[in-house]
Amino acid sequence: MSKDLRFLVVDDFSTMRRIIKNLLHDLGYQNVAEADDGNTALPLLQVGNIDFLITDWNMPGMPGLELLKAVRADPKLAKMPVLMLTAEAKREQIVEAAQAGVNGYVIKPFTAVTLKEKLDKILETRAAAK
Amino acid sequence: MTAAELKSRYGNLVLNLSAALEAGDEAAFTVHLNSIVRDRDDGMWTQLRKLTTDLGSALERFQLDSRLVDLAEKEVPDARHRLDHVLKMTDEAAHKTMDLVEQSGPLADRISSDAEQLSELWQQFRNRQISPEDFRQLLDKMQVFLDDVRASSEALRKNLAEVLMTQGYQDLSGQIIRGVIKLVDEVESTLGQLVCLATDPSSKAENADKYRESRGHGPAVPGVDHGNVVNGQQDIDALLSGLGI
Repeated sequence: MSKDLRFLVVDDFSTMRRIIKNLLHDLGYQNVAEADDGNTALPLLQVGNIDFLITDWNMPGMPGLELLKAVRADPKLAKMPVLMLTAEAKREQIVEAAQAGVNGYVIKPFTAVTLKEKLDKILETRAAAK
Repeated sequence: MTAAELKSRYGNLVLNLSAALEAGDEAAFTVHLNSIVRDRDDGMWTQLRKLTTDLGSALERFQLDSRLVDLAEKEVPDARHRLDHVLKMTDEAAHKTMDLVEQSGPLADRISSDAEQLSELWQQFRNRQISPEDFRQLLDKMQVFLDDVRASSEALRKNLAEVLMTQGYQDLSGQIIRGVIKLVDEVESTLGQLVCLATDPSSKAENADKYRESRGHGPAVPGVDHGNVVNGQQDIDALLSGLGI
């Protein structure tokens, strides 16, 4: 698996961004950008330097679900792998995220192993589809 | 009181009093006079009782109103500040802990890689395959390694102690949150006493629910009803796999 992937981590809590960033570093991914909600994330995504999006759901400004929908609606970003990493635990929400096109869903609190498993699964599925 | 009411209430009493006066009957006069006075007193006491009751309920309402004003003007903004403080405190503690973890990681990495290097030379020495030059190098490296291990272990121990102390935020933030829970209880019970539900809240609640649905609800808190929530990552994996993800 290529370790040159460029990640964007979107979460309104800087502590959570830092935890995810550290875990990604431990997994060998050094290229990690950050944003604190959908409104700040979208312009970064549109610049075109991001390969993988990890986003929270519940954020001020633009929440993660709207960011996901915006990504899927943008022809340039539509195929971007998106992992939702959130405390939102209602079944209807998970189904809604799946219908909006999420590639993976990790519930907080989470473990480093779970994050790695979900990342690997998404990347393997995409590699197989190519 | 009309003239007729006045006559009907006091007419006979005054006549009896006049008759006793005319007759010079002191005992009868006193009895009739007392009867008039008692009649007046009864009315006054009824009025006074009503006034006292009105005053009592007015005071009670005033106390309720001023408690609500106090809650709205002072204690609720106070609670907001206290919760902001909790947010700041937890943020600082989390960053401080991660700073210490980030400082400690490289120390452990260095001990590990130095030990690996030494281990190779040590193995050569044990197998009696080491040259005099390498043996001198082994001794020098061993000295540096031992000094490094001592210094790094001290630094790691210090970092761990600081991580431990940093967790003190939980006690402080817990106390503040407990205070806010108490305030919410009081607001709830004070508002409960003001029965004033004039409009049908169901339509507003429905709109609020839809808005909340798209923004998210935050973490599920044990003991609070969050509806149909999943029970951990395995539940989510099963749900998504059913949806082909």
